[in-house]
Parts: sequence; C-alpha cells; structure tokens
Amino acid sequence: MRRFTVLLRKELRELLTLQVLAPFAVSILVFVLIGNIVGQEGENKTGPSVTVVDADASDVSRSVIDALESGGFKITLAAGDRSPTYIAAQMQDGGSSGLVIGIPRGFGADVSRGTPRRLESHTVMRDFSFLATRDAGALKGILATVNDALSSQLIVQAAPGSDPSAMKNPVGLEEHVVVGDRSARASAEEVIWFISNQTTFIPIVLFLVIVFAAQIIATTIASEKENKTLETLLASPIGRGQLVTAKMVAAATIALVSAAAYMIGLRYYMDSVAGSLGGAGARGASDTVMASLGLTLGPAEYALLGASLFAGTLVALAAAVILGAFAENIRAIQSLLTPLIVFIMIPYFLTLFIDLETASPLLRWSVLAIPFAHPFRAAPSLFLGDLESVWAGIAYETVWFIGLSYIAARIFSSDRILTLKLSGRRRVRP
Amino acid sequence: MPDIVLTVSDLVKRYGALEAIKGISFAVRPGEIFALIGPNGAGKTTTLRCVATLLKPSEGTVTVAGIDVASSPDKVRELIAYLPEEAGAYKNMRGDSYLRFFAELFFARREDQDRAVGTARDISGLGDRLGDKLGSYSKGMTRKLLLARALMTRPRLAILDEPTSGLDVLNALEVRNLIRSFAESGMAVLLSSHNMLEIEYLSDRVGLIYRGLLHDVGTPAELKERYNAQNLEEVFAEVAR
Repeated sequence: MRRFTVLLRKELRELLTLQVLAPFAVSILVFVLIGNIVGQEGENKTGPSVTVVDADASDVSRSVIDALESGGFKITLAAGDRSPTYIAAQMQDGGSSGLVIGIPRGFGADVSRGTPRRLESHTVMRDFSFLATRDAGALKGILATVNDALSSQLIVQAAPGSDPSAMKNPVGLEEHVVVGDRSARASAEEVIWFISNQTTFIPIVLFLVIVFAAQIIATTIASEKENKTLETLLASPIGRGQLVTAKMVAAATIALVSAAAYMIGLRYYMDSVAGSLGGAGARGASDTVMASLGLTLGPAEYALLGASLFAGTLVALAAAVILGAFAENIRAIQSLLTPLIVFIMIPYFLTLFIDLETASPLLRWSVLAIPFAHPFRAAPSLFLGDLESVWAGIAYETVWFIGLSYIAARIFSSDRILTLKLSGRRRVRP
Repeated sequence: MPDIVLTVSDLVKRYGALEAIKGISFAVRPGEIFALIGPNGAGKTTTLRCVATLLKPSEGTVTVAGIDVASSPDKVRELIAYLPEEAGAYKNMRGDSYLRFFAELFFARREDQDRAVGTARDISGLGDRLGDKLGSYSKGMTRKLLLARALMTRPRLAILDEPTSGLDVLNALEVRNLIRSFAESGMAVLLSSHNMLEIEYLSDRVGLIYRGLLHDVGTPAELKERYNAQNLEEVFAEVAR
C-alpha cells in the first residue's frame, strides 16, 4: 500500500502540470464568457421588434398595432407613404435585421366587411443564430395576435353582447401527462422540454470525462515508453498490478475533477442560454409539475448516475491501458484511441437523437452491447424511475472492466508491455 | 553472503520464431564486475532485461541471490538496480524529487530513504542542480542522476547497460571509478558496453556474446592470451570471425 501511495502521488504530480490544467481553465472561462455574452444579448433583446408601415391609417389598423404592442412586440412606425419593400431594403442597407409588416390601404374597410386581407411581411435576415431564429419565429405570433384581435372585433360587431373568446374557442384541451404510476396536469411538450433542458449537459460531460480519462492514461503510458522511464519503473520493487492501478486512479481523479469543473462551466452556459431564450421562467413554472410526476433526481439517483459514469470511465481506462501499451510514443496515441472514441461516440449521438427503448431490437441490443451506452442511458432511465436497468448497466460495465483489467494486467506482467508496438508485432532488440 | 549473486543457466529467449538468446550460462560473484561484450543484436540487452525481471526466459533459469527471477520477480527487484542504456527521467520532476521517489519505493523507513538520497547526491555530484527540473538537464547530467539512482539503494546486483553512454571523458572516468568502488564494497555488477577500453579497465571477467551464444568467458588478460590478441577488440574480432 505504501508503494502504491508513493506511485499515485508521483502520477498525480506528473498529471497536475500547467500544460494539463491550462486548457481546462481556458475551456471553463470560455463557457462562462460565452454564457455571459449570450445572456446579455438575450436581455438586450427584450422582445421581437417590428417595423409597421401603416398605409391604411384606419381604426382597424391602429387596433392591430395596439394588439401587437400588448402582445409584447416592440413597434416602430414607418411613414405610411413608403412601401414595406423599401423599408426592408433600407434596414438591410443600414445593417439591421428584423420584421417589417405592411398594412395595405383599404385594409380596415375590407376586414370590417368580413373580406379577408393579407398583411405583407418582410423578414430582414443578417444572421442565423438562435436569437435571430426567435425574431423570425415571431411572425406566426404576430399573425395570431392580429387575427385574435380582429376576429374579436368582428364577433362583437356581428353579435353584440357575445363573448368572443368563448365563440372562437368553444372546445378547450386539458392536458395530462402520465409517467409510470403518476399523473399530472401538464403538456407533453412541457415535460419533454424540462427533461431535455435538465439532461442536455449530462451526455456532454459524460463524453468529456470518458474520453479525457482514456487520453490521460494512454498518454502517461506512451510517455513512459517514449521517455524511456518505463523500464526503470518496471524493474523497481512495485507490483505490476499496483503500477497499473495507480495510473488508473490518477487518471480517473483528474478526469473527475475536470468533469466537475466542466459541469459547472456548462451548467452556467446552459442556464445563460436558456435564460436568454426565455426558458428559465418556463422551467421554474414546470418544477412543481415535474416533482408531482416524479421527474426529479434526488441524491440517491445522482449517486447512481455517478456510479454508472464511474464504471464507464473505468472501462475506458482499462481499454486505454491496453491501447497505450501498443503505443511507442505519444504521437501514436491519437490513432490508437480512435476506435475507442468511436465506440464512445456511437451511444453518445444515438442517445441524443433516438429513443433506444423504442428502437428496433437489433439496433437497441447492438448499442446496449457497447459498455459506454449505459452511462448515457442512465439519466433518462433515472427520470423514469427505471433503477433496474441502471443497475444492470453498472453490472455490465463492471464485467467489461474486470475483463479488460485482466488483459491489461497480463500485458503489464509479461514481456508484451516492452515488446508490443503500433503494428501489433513485437519490437525486438536482442 | 552466498558465493554467487547471479546465476544464469541455459538461458533461452525467443521472440516468436526469433531466438535471440540460444542457451547461455554464466555466474557473477559478490564484488565482481562481469561484462558482456558483443556487436549490436548479439543478445546483450535481452540478457540484461531477463536478469532485470523485465523479460521472462523462454527456457533456462536466472537466479539472483538464489531467488528465481521468473517465479519471484518482486523479491528479485528488491535486490537489484537496473540502468537501461537509453533510460530517461521524468522531465517535470526535480532532481531531488526523482531521487526521493525511488528511495520511497525501495525503503519504508524515513532514515533509510534519507540515507539513500544523500548517497545519490554524493554520487551524482549535481549539487544545487538537483533542485532543477530534469527537463533542463543535459544528457550527461541525466545519466549521472540515473546512475546515482541505481546505486543509491546499494543493490546486491547492479545491471548497467552502457553505463557511460553520453558522458564526456572526464565524467566517464568518474563513473567508472564509482562503479569500481561500489563493487569493492561487495556489490556485484553485470554490465554491457561497446567501449572495449572501458570493459578492459572495469571488468573482472568478460563474456563474449555473439548471435545469442556466449562464446567465451574469462578475465581480460586470459582472453587476450587465449586469442593471442593485443586488446579486447582483437579478441572480439577473432570470436566474430
């Protein structure tokens, strides 16, 4: 145990260098910086801005403008004798973006007679960011607001004393969502939005931790070979198992610490982005509903998620030890780790885009056969209260870890650690 | 103290179909410096690696102080020190930390660790430079540090592959004297070198290894007389012929 501690201390010292730590610090700073910028941009854009060209100048057109203002749109009135096309061109030339709505002459009179008319819209696009999408998406909201206001006026005109709202929406919808044995009054969209907002950052962090841990340990082994320090270490009185374990523990420690740092940075970034897109408020309103559906993670669930991640990291570490044994130098690591990273990426992307539970059996079992699929699957399973599949995943990962560790220990306790090389053939120096 | 520290009996080492060592035998006594000489690819490094527990013999036995390297490598590693030919050091570590790391691996007691580090400081002669990172060391400084690391534990058997590789004339002379003085205190030494002058100066006995076979063993004087040669280079050329 004493020698293991000595070795572990040395491994940690070797890993905790400025070259290793600086990229993390920079990455986290970048997350925070981007989060701040996006958040501030979101705050600056309090509501979609619309330039209205009112060529009609009637009571109806003014009520349209009032309806837009009360709907949260920021209205700028352009001179009514200009065409909306001209105003849009001016905006484009001036380097600004936004919406131009033209209310044509005779609009109020026609609508009052019940004749449908068209508003003319021009969307001036200068970028394709999320915030720009929000502005472009406001168009449908504008039409709905205008139609709502005008149809209410028409109903009151046609049937004085009636309730326009009841006449327009005689049928309502009371949505309920059922998850397991729990039910709550909420929309399915709301639930999915909440869960995806909560879990979006989890696969990213899982991916980073697993890949980073694998890279660390493979690099330390390749570095020992390249710098010709491995032979000296192997001839020292320390068990080969202890040597491999110390390297794995050190790599796992650094990976988990970096994951925690990344998680904080990512969380800050996601919150900033969600806030700027109007998600924070909606999420707050959803908290109660999600709690009543049991869709919140408690400490025990987070511990299980951590255990699944840790087991997946151990599998990656053991696999990387084996791959690292093939590397003659650090440059060879990237190509050697490529197959491992591909096997991590497959479940990462698939769990982001498809539901494994409803996928075809062939696809489902093929993906589940990859040990790294289970950490990615753990969070959704925990939200659904499916603890059994999470435990089964951890058990499956453990079997892989034991098998790969056995192979790694065999390599380290045999000649192969010195004689294996990238081609898979043995390097011989008599 | 047993009469023999290292016994190599009918050692065979194969890499797949290639037989790098074809059944060699020799023994090294306490305080003796035994050198293996031979051309590149003769089997010197493979022999040294088998003795250092890094490679497992395909056939035959290797024992250090009566302990078999194949069945009890951990025990053997307590008794030996190995200096590979192209050994490097951890570039981010400081000289002192490097020595302390290996002292802690070998010794449990703080006093023993301090004594070993003190010995290594004296051997290396690096003084204040031990406080610098190893990445800033010259090749010669690194080699002296590594030799100090190997000898500081006062091993029963030191296995030195090209011990003066990369050293200038004065440093090489200093290292040779150091090895000689440690051997005089009872440490057995198994070394390999291309430098025949070094071998002649240092070695008590020499083994001539060529194409995996040990062709002859004797003191430098015996070998020169046996092959009617002026020096070991001529002896070696005669064997290779």
